[in-house]
Amino acid sequence: MTSHQHAANPAQNYLNHPKGVWSWLTTTDHKRIALLYLFTILLSFFAGGVAALVMRTELMFPGHDLVSADTYNRLFTLHGVLMIFLFIVPGIPATMGNFLLPLMIGAKDVAFPRLNLLSYYIYVIGALFGVAALANPVDTGWTFYTPYSMDTGTSVVLMTAAAFILGFSSILTGLNFIVTVHKLRAPGMTWSRLPVFVWGTYATAVIQTLATPVVGITLLLLIMERLMGVGIFDPKLGGDPVLFQHMFWFYSHPVVYIMVLPAFGVVGEIIPVFSRKPLFGYRIVCLSSLAIAIIGFVVWAHHMFVAGISDTAAIYFSIITFAVAIPTAIKVFNWVSTMYKGSIRFDTPMLYAMGFVFLFLVAGTTGIYLAALAADVFYHDTYFVVAHFHYTIQGGAVIGLMAALHFWFPKMTGKMYNETVGKIAWILVFIGFNLTFIPQFGLGMEGMPRRYYDYLPEFQSMHSLSTIGAYVNAFGYSFALFNLLWAWIFSKNYAPANPYESLSLEWQTPSPPPTENFVETPIVTDWTYGYGTPLKSGAH
Amino acid sequence: MFRMMPEQASEVAPKIDWLIYLITDISVFFTVLICGAMIYFAIRYRQRDGKHHETPQIKGDHLLEMVWTIVPTIICIYVAYYGVKYFYDIRHVPLDGDVVTVNVQGQKWKWDFEYDNGKKTTGEAVIPVGQHVKFVLTSRDVLHSFFVPAMRVKTDAIPGRYTYAAFKPVKTGTYQVFCTEYCGKDHSMMLAKVRVVSEAEYKTWLDDKSEELALLKMTPPERGRAAYNKHGCNACHSLDGSRLVGPSFLKAYGREGTYDSGKKYAVDHEYIRQSIYEPNAHIVDSYPPNLMPNYTDQVSAQELDDLIAFIRSLDGSAPVAAQPAAAAQPAVDLAALSPIERGKLLYQQKICVTCHSIDGSKLVGPSFKGIYGATQKHVDGSSATVDEGYIRESILQPGLKVAEGYQNMMPPYEGQLSEEQIKDISEFIKSLK
Amino acid sequence: MSHGLFRTEWVAGEPPDIHHMDVPTAYDAAKLGMWLFLATEILLFGGLFAAYALFHWAYPTEFHHASKELNWKIGAFNTCVLLISSFYAALSVDAAQHNNNKKVVRYLLITLGCGLIFLVVKYFEWTGKASHGLFPGTSGEHGAFNSPEFNHSYRMFFGLYYCMTGLHALHVIIGMAILAWAANLARKGRFSKRYYTPVEVGALYWHLVDLIWIYLFPLLYLVG
Repeated sequence: MTSHQHAANPAQNYLNHPKGVWSWLTTTDHKRIALLYLFTILLSFFAGGVAALVMRTELMFPGHDLVSADTYNRLFTLHGVLMIFLFIVPGIPATMGNFLLPLMIGAKDVAFPRLNLLSYYIYVIGALFGVAALANPVDTGWTFYTPYSMDTGTSVVLMTAAAFILGFSSILTGLNFIVTVHKLRAPGMTWSRLPVFVWGTYATAVIQTLATPVVGITLLLLIMERLMGVGIFDPKLGGDPVLFQHMFWFYSHPVVYIMVLPAFGVVGEIIPVFSRKPLFGYRIVCLSSLAIAIIGFVVWAHHMFVAGISDTAAIYFSIITFAVAIPTAIKVFNWVSTMYKGSIRFDTPMLYAMGFVFLFLVAGTTGIYLAALAADVFYHDTYFVVAHFHYTIQGGAVIGLMAALHFWFPKMTGKMYNETVGKIAWILVFIGFNLTFIPQFGLGMEGMPRRYYDYLPEFQSMHSLSTIGAYVNAFGYSFALFNLLWAWIFSKNYAPANPYESLSLEWQTPSPPPTENFVETPIVTDWTYGYGTPLKSGAH
Repeated sequence: MFRMMPEQASEVAPKIDWLIYLITDISVFFTVLICGAMIYFAIRYRQRDGKHHETPQIKGDHLLEMVWTIVPTIICIYVAYYGVKYFYDIRHVPLDGDVVTVNVQGQKWKWDFEYDNGKKTTGEAVIPVGQHVKFVLTSRDVLHSFFVPAMRVKTDAIPGRYTYAAFKPVKTGTYQVFCTEYCGKDHSMMLAKVRVVSEAEYKTWLDDKSEELALLKMTPPERGRAAYNKHGCNACHSLDGSRLVGPSFLKAYGREGTYDSGKKYAVDHEYIRQSIYEPNAHIVDSYPPNLMPNYTDQVSAQELDDLIAFIRSLDGSAPVAAQPAAAAQPAVDLAALSPIERGKLLYQQKICVTCHSIDGSKLVGPSFKGIYGATQKHVDGSSATVDEGYIRESILQPGLKVAEGYQNMMPPYEGQLSEEQIKDISEFIKSLK
Repeated sequence: MSHGLFRTEWVAGEPPDIHHMDVPTAYDAAKLGMWLFLATEILLFGGLFAAYALFHWAYPTEFHHASKELNWKIGAFNTCVLLISSFYAALSVDAAQHNNNKKVVRYLLITLGCGLIFLVVKYFEWTGKASHGLFPGTSGEHGAFNSPEFNHSYRMFFGLYYCMTGLHALHVIIGMAILAWAANLARKGRFSKRYYTPVEVGALYWHLVDLIWIYLFPLLYLVG
């Protein structure tokens, strides 16, 4: 591929102009803000991952091995808070979304660039509150359930304040994206020509904007409860601990879609490019993202089937939950059909996308157990749930992020990474991930409860397997990210503007793009997925 | 494939498992189908020479899309229907007929059971086979969740509210109970057992009042000691002066000092009353606040007096609360019993039963079943064979060797058991092959 | 630096030079952004309203009695003050559209004055209640409120009262800051019919603050 060496690395691009640390810290360029986010969330990913490995090591064998029960409880809380609030909620939207959204719709920036930078600093402040809470780490679990979170002597107020502030950052990002998509599309970029990643990010932004305020007020009430003893969630004062769960899950269920909808978008971008085929059923794929976002708002109490809600409510929420399964299933069918009669290349992003399809299938089908009422009574709060949501969030969102990082790496950095290393790392991630979590489905089926520091001896073999898998998985991620970092700093293999011959707008500008994104504002005349030879009329 | 559900011990369990295995089969089928298609396409349509070959610009297919919208919808409706139907079976409690009602209170970190006739147990519920049982749940502190895998039931225990878990056991045996709602430090130790027995055995067990009769014959400090064990004070308050989760009771009465808030105090009757009924009013010696639950509804006025008497007796003059064995014995002719029977009696009287099972299940401490002659590993990595000497040491100085997988929680029984009695207990343990 | 973080140069009456979109788009975007933000604010208060509704339903008589402790006349006075302030905020937008920066300043100052009166009245109302011991807290000073005998639902009513009015007061302060910033721009003669976005979005925000109070007043002072 000698063309790479000769590819133009434009003298002036967003990375090298203007120069200096200060210009980065005060930048309003969406591409630079994306990289600031990327750097910060990967730090959180690393810290959360270390917490997970310590826990898995403790669980390798039954009994007390490495840390005390108290430390273990703080670790799983820390793992949850880091991974959810600091890593994966901003994970794809604030990094890839920030970088790609204006590029994909042919805009020069997001609608409110300074607000965008403000969101980042609010995020940093939230993260600092979280760090301050480390003086006496919280042991409530990331769900902060009352009344335990009111009794515990750990710094719940600081940690919930951190989550509250992070939520504010998320709201502003979502708001910015919605306005950007509505107002800043290039001439000819109609709604029916928008790339699916934009659709996914748009649906995500709607959830971020509408669901996050509710968890905001919930956490604020929890803080008030601890500081003043208002009594709303305190059964001793006539309050209702179950109300907290309702308000918490009203946000925290849709938040799952904040994590995976952009990942759906990523996969919808990658598969057509590497199959040289239009995205199969484009319209329905876009609509299903919106459908998931909307239905996602009315299923929250399926986290509470055994939490003392009425049987009638449980039945209602169970049935609505099944309704989410259908748009999700449609997406999977469409991705796979896109590959039919394609001309398929197996570059690393494509491998991640195909891995994603498998992992998300497992996540989706195991979701059926949890939606079916009678089965959920057994599985609720067991390792089955733990495995299910790791398939959804890690297998979905994190693998989606990895796919996106590999796919758009040439655009972001102007360099090509080492394909062989990328593929080996993918194999490690894929095997490690499945080895970690398939045994956890087994544990759940046998009735092993979650958040257990110690367990009965009969669960040992599967716990040990899971721990080994966790190490392989962690090694795989480190290897993959190291490969990218190495290429960015040391590689002399410069990327052309469009190494994968994509038709999407972001590839029609140099790699890395200039500060203004496009040399001149693009005019869109066709949809994004016009791959292949047009069919004769009448044929499919 | 994946037939991994635990033993079916309730009437509803086979139905739940049928539903779960149905979903499993559907899931495996579709996963294999879709991934199979994906892998087939990947191989069949791969680029063979690194160059694009011509591809048709297929944008979609309405018929196909209809099919894969409608088929999952039908499957979902089918599964949802059975989910709801069997959920009714789980939640259903017959209005007429014999329903055994057991009141359950969750508390960090134990399960208390109370029967209609006033019989109370901790950590083990005994229920008759073949009858519907309704466990009425509530909590004294935070959220807990009552989960009996073999019965396929689970319900949260919520403070200030009643919920229930009901089922009809169809097999005798002992079944594990887990707490499945995170409740703090020893969440993973909050285990209990449901023992399903025959109707007749249940009746006998329910009417057995020997424990209460024994209490009547005790002195106040002895009764206090029983209350100390019964309410689990021993988990946090030592009798030998060592610092556990809370302050030791040794030489506590009469001690003077200052609260963490700076006020002065002396331990007297009122101090102990407040510590039990309003445990978080004052904190001493930088112990973490809010760890001790409020015992207002659990410790009766009589028990409070007994506990105070017990704490007063711990003045350090005797090597820990002497409990004259004879006074506490029920009226049985000990001499007429075999050593094994005497050991079993002691096992129950000395509350070994709270922490050590005799059926192999894991409670707070290791089970006695099959332990004799086995090699026991310890937390410090050492190991030893369990023999009479080992048992003797474990009873008198339990902190010396702590079994792997357990915490150092057992109170030392030094001075409370005669050598004879220790021998009897050893014989009893030996008999549990 | 034409489009960096800190933009300073401008021309009186002209829209700022924004590098990434044209003037009408910028105006539309700002308005859409503010409307979305108002939606999030309503959802933020929505959580409190939901909690209020639930416990009002659970303890109707207690809430009724507790609300009697509040002086509806003070509440009504504050409602009037906010309505007047909202009226002048609307007038200031109209003035900006007519190129009259002086009137914008005057109307916004009246709006700010009303906001200040509202806060002062609210301050005296809170301290008055707190001095009667009607203040939840974990310290021992407010004995009556924290004693076990004190009615729980009273306590909850006042807890909600402080949370709701407190959060609202915070919004009044934020709204005042936004309007003060707009007034300062008007003082420099910044607005014209071609550019009045800050006054418009500021006024929009202020109307929301007013609207929320219009719901809070009857819920807390009248319906009880």
